[in-house]
Amino acid sequence: MKVIFDWLDDRSGYRNLLHEVLYEKVPGGARWRYVWGSCLTFAFFTQVVTGTLLWMFYSPSAQTAWESVYFLQYQVWGGWFLRGVHHYMAQAMIVLLVLHLMQVVIDGAYRAPRELNFWFGALMMGVTLALSLTGYLLPWDQKGYWATAVATNLMAEVPWIGPAIQKIVVGGVEYGHHTLTRFFALHAGVLPAMLVGLVVIHIYLFRKHGIHVKEPRPKRDSYFWPDQILKDAIACLAILLAVVGLTLYFRGAPLGPPADPANEFPARPEWYFLFLFQLLKYVPAFWGAVIIPAFLVLWIFAQPFIGATRPGHQLNIGFWWTLIAGSIALTLLAFAEDRANLRHAAAIEEAGWQADRVLSIVEDQGIPPAGAVTLLRKDPENRGRNLFAAHCASCHRYNGHDGRGYPVTDEQSAPELAGFASVEWITKLLTHKHYISAEYFGGTAFKDGTMARKVLAKYTPEETALLPDIARLLSDMAELPYQEALDDEERDELLALFYNDDSVFQDGLACIECHDIDSEEEGHAPDLTGYGSNEWTVAFIKNPEEERFYGDENDRMPCYGRDAKLTDEEIQILSNWIRAKPAE
Amino acid sequence: MNDSDQEDTSRRKFIRVATISASAACGLFPLAAGIPALLDPVTKSFGNAGNVPWSKVAPFVSLPEDGTPAKFEVVQEKVVDAWTTYKDVPVGAVYLTRREKDVVAFNLKCPHLGCAIDFRKQSNDYFCPCHNSSFALDGSITTENSPSPRPMDTMETKVEDGYVWIRFQHFRPNIPEKTPLS
Repeated sequence: MKVIFDWLDDRSGYRNLLHEVLYEKVPGGARWRYVWGSCLTFAFFTQVVTGTLLWMFYSPSAQTAWESVYFLQYQVWGGWFLRGVHHYMAQAMIVLLVLHLMQVVIDGAYRAPRELNFWFGALMMGVTLALSLTGYLLPWDQKGYWATAVATNLMAEVPWIGPAIQKIVVGGVEYGHHTLTRFFALHAGVLPAMLVGLVVIHIYLFRKHGIHVKEPRPKRDSYFWPDQILKDAIACLAILLAVVGLTLYFRGAPLGPPADPANEFPARPEWYFLFLFQLLKYVPAFWGAVIIPAFLVLWIFAQPFIGATRPGHQLNIGFWWTLIAGSIALTLLAFAEDRANLRHAAAIEEAGWQADRVLSIVEDQGIPPAGAVTLLRKDPENRGRNLFAAHCASCHRYNGHDGRGYPVTDEQSAPELAGFASVEWITKLLTHKHYISAEYFGGTAFKDGTMARKVLAKYTPEETALLPDIARLLSDMAELPYQEALDDEERDELLALFYNDDSVFQDGLACIECHDIDSEEEGHAPDLTGYGSNEWTVAFIKNPEEERFYGDENDRMPCYGRDAKLTDEEIQILSNWIRAKPAE
Repeated sequence: MNDSDQEDTSRRKFIRVATISASAACGLFPLAAGIPALLDPVTKSFGNAGNVPWSKVAPFVSLPEDGTPAKFEVVQEKVVDAWTTYKDVPVGAVYLTRREKDVVAFNLKCPHLGCAIDFRKQSNDYFCPCHNSSFALDGSITTENSPSPRPMDTMETKVEDGYVWIRFQHFRPNIPEKTPLS
């Protein structure tokens, strides 16, 4: 063995190099405050290795980016873990950057003769942030897509060349194949190569000037190996454990629903950019994109000179603490505002629903070549809730919301439709109190109509007790997928009640006097034949002014089919969707 | 050597071991995190060795009555490539030969190393232009010291409603046995 190593050393001189690397003098002994540089190197190394492995699974195009990440996350053995480590190590790296920067600033290590290295460090910070930004888009999910749109729009704020820069980075004006190929090339090629080069220069300059010793020195001098390396390695291990912990706890990195420009999503950057996001609520985009970054660059350049005097050094420390405190405050504010915003919470929940939904469709049908986003766009369940939100929810509600879970600000002026035509829903409808409430017809002219004033309000307690049976009969005609059908005998009994064969209802209060079931006559109130069934619901949405429904007594319900507001297919989807589930 | 020296030596030894172990753990971790994903393909079975679907290839009457081979592409109803599910895509090609009321199908791929085999009209045989394996019309090897270790690969066929159907498969190249890829 020794012979081989001797030969290798003779030809390469590796022992000298190793000695040079390991036996760097650490004046004042090894200290925990020196570990951050090594930790960052470790984090970057982890990103390069895990990133290269992720590369084996990733396919950058608008039809395959989300799909390949989905495959890695859910189909590849341990894929979720690999992706999770890369995701959380990226976040750890940002935290480490701040710690390293603050240690350098507080210790005064940025001053002469180490100015150059400080600037290089700042440059590396910029490259790392660019890596985060480009990596955020690559899964091509809603979150990355919408946030990146904001980030790249900021680029256009740069005077004269801004729009051109944006076009170059995006690969055009729309986000698509070329945005992904470019972001991927930046994220996996250009930026890491730059960072490797900068790390080499950074470490070279660090070695040239040696460690900046914080006085007083606690111990006698020692060497990098093994004392400082032990501390460095323990710190790296702690980071590693934290990253593994986060990965296991969250079961890997999140993957939202596939990017869709037609599917709104509240754009938010990753948490460490939230302060910038919040800042843009107060200052014009031009400030956020140009003035503040330009000021920071100049300030960082000037800091080593400002810090030459004691008050200047104090000013620098104060500046960074203020910046950090300000960023934390803005971040907390951003979180607090989102938390107080019900629409935001609903949007996040909706995205979660879509993410789960697309997974279950993929499991069922696989992903077509056109991409997973087409699955959601064609999905009747997803389309149903979106159609309801867009066309029905300004008057109706579904479980109190707009069908997707968003709160609605307009006042409810038409019935709640969750559980429409179910026994419970009709039973409530037939109760005077509910009939005239906002939940049913309180917001319509029917509140003061014959049914409310002259029928429901007049029922005796004995008659009222029969109404749930009427509800069972009507609901049976709806043939709802989640309700059991009545048997023939029961149906005949209930029909007899409807027709008031035994005169249990007083004159003028029996259903049959205004409504028809299975008869040719047109009573003046809606015909209830097949009430709530698919045929009935579709026909009703198409034209509520049809003679068998409201006729000329229709109160504001649009004729979606007659007036071509919705296609027949859309109306069918809506009918299926409304009738699919019981109320929550 | 006194006691304190000995203590110092064992302390130094402990530091060395601890440092090397911790560094090695950190250094190897990123790769280790990706090893399962990297090895994923060997943990799965591919192809359809277990349950080969029938693919409709061509009308029976389109095959020459004299038994001359004709080449057809095989279109499979559903093909899954990693994350994408394709419908009705060509997955390979076959030579079909009529044998009275039945059909014999040979995979176009040479059992040697997977080159595409030609049918030679002049000599009425099959010939692989890569490494010069040649086969008779019944698929048997006709070359001495044939590069191909086995005859051409046949697949199950049936004739139904006037159409030729086939259970199309690929096989492991360059071994004497016909083993489906999985």
